[in-house]
Amino acid sequence: MPVTGQRGASMATSKLTGQGSVPGETRAAELRLVERCRNGELGAFEELYRQHSGRLFSLAVRMLGNQADAEDQLQEIFLSAHRKLESFRGEAALGTWLYRLAMNQLLDYVRSRAARTGQLTDGLDDATVLADASGHRLADRAIERIDLERALTELPDGCRAAFLLHDVEGLEHKEVSDVLGIAEGTSKSQVHKARLRLRGLLRR
Amino acid sequence: MACTRYLNSIQEAVDGTIGSIRRAELELHVDTCDDCRGLLEDLQRIRDASAALPVLDAPDGAWLQIAGRLRQEGRVAPAPAVVTGRRSYGTWLAAAAAVILMVASAWFVLPRFASAPAPQTASAPAPGNAADTRTVESVQNDVAVAQQQFEKAIAELEKVAKSNQQALDPETSATIDKNLGIIDQAIADNRVAVAQEPSSVAARETLFQALRSKVTLLQNTIALINEMRKGNNAAAAQLVNKSS
Repeated sequence: MPVTGQRGASMATSKLTGQGSVPGETRAAELRLVERCRNGELGAFEELYRQHSGRLFSLAVRMLGNQADAEDQLQEIFLSAHRKLESFRGEAALGTWLYRLAMNQLLDYVRSRAARTGQLTDGLDDATVLADASGHRLADRAIERIDLERALTELPDGCRAAFLLHDVEGLEHKEVSDVLGIAEGTSKSQVHKARLRLRGLLRR
Repeated sequence: MACTRYLNSIQEAVDGTIGSIRRAELELHVDTCDDCRGLLEDLQRIRDASAALPVLDAPDGAWLQIAGRLRQEGRVAPAPAVVTGRRSYGTWLAAAAAVILMVASAWFVLPRFASAPAPQTASAPAPGNAADTRTVESVQNDVAVAQQQFEKAIAELEKVAKSNQQALDPETSATIDKNLGIIDQAIADNRVAVAQEPSSVAARETLFQALRSKVTLLQNTIALINEMRKGNNAAAAQLVNKSS
């Protein structure tokens, strides 16, 4: 069986960070936009919002599991971004910087919600991972989006965050590690565990 | 899983980071190992399905709320004075943002229905319809307060929208009026349902959903007028599609 050594074309470039799309020009345009935002230009911040709100909202919906919470958190993310734009130096792409800010906000919210409801999610133990890796295969039919979205909500928070950034948003492991503040190896491990758990969940 | 030797290689293959030698080894292995071949194919399918998940549209009103809060906190410069008839863009945006805050406070009342303590039981619940367990009087009072907030918000939005609707072409204006009529009918019907069953959480939620729909449609109408005034036809077309 031939083993694909390359990810699909859609995954070759980070969807949000724009890596690979003339980084120099992109970075310069981002810095100009950020400067206009810093000067209090609402139109510039609206432009930034229009560029990034869809992806950040998608991330929020999938991290939080419902649209109402995601909408609230999307507002908090952009308000926080506006406050913190002063600290944006352009060392990372604006998209990566926003992902980091968004993930911090979302994980804080998930933890506080879990603490309120007493529903803390554990990590994945080795036995679960091995069980998901073994046994019968997924059904031959296509994986339905609704099934996949539902299964995503059952992943532990850390795995879900890494998986969403890597497999859904298309960030590289290095970028995931920057966004989540974890080692690159941890990102690989979390994403792999998440895929195995999804396999187990989708077989049900 | 009986065979675990190639788990790391499978992970790397799915990630697309596997080297050529390990890939060749894995290819030989999966030709003879059903478990590993099945696992590799399943994980690749999961990866591909995940990459194909769509980007979701942020809700229509989210930007207006963000802009409203930035203005409220004094973090952005005043809107450019693009004078368009009697009201400027900035005035409309400010009005819409202020209205959103009123609506937000109306929504804030709602969660209390579900979580409030139950000193006395209200009327018996209708079959298949969750009931609030507080007194009918206290529920009605809260519903009335929330409705007032919505009505105040809607009145403000209607005032702005109606006084500038001439900026829209007759066909778009007629579509918006038609949709407003449908929502108004839904609001009227749901008010009757709430009056008949004041303890029904579902009836109240449906009423507030209808009120919220009206707020959204009016916000979109004002946004549409703004975009047309600015000559932004692409944005206007998007809003027309959402409102029709």
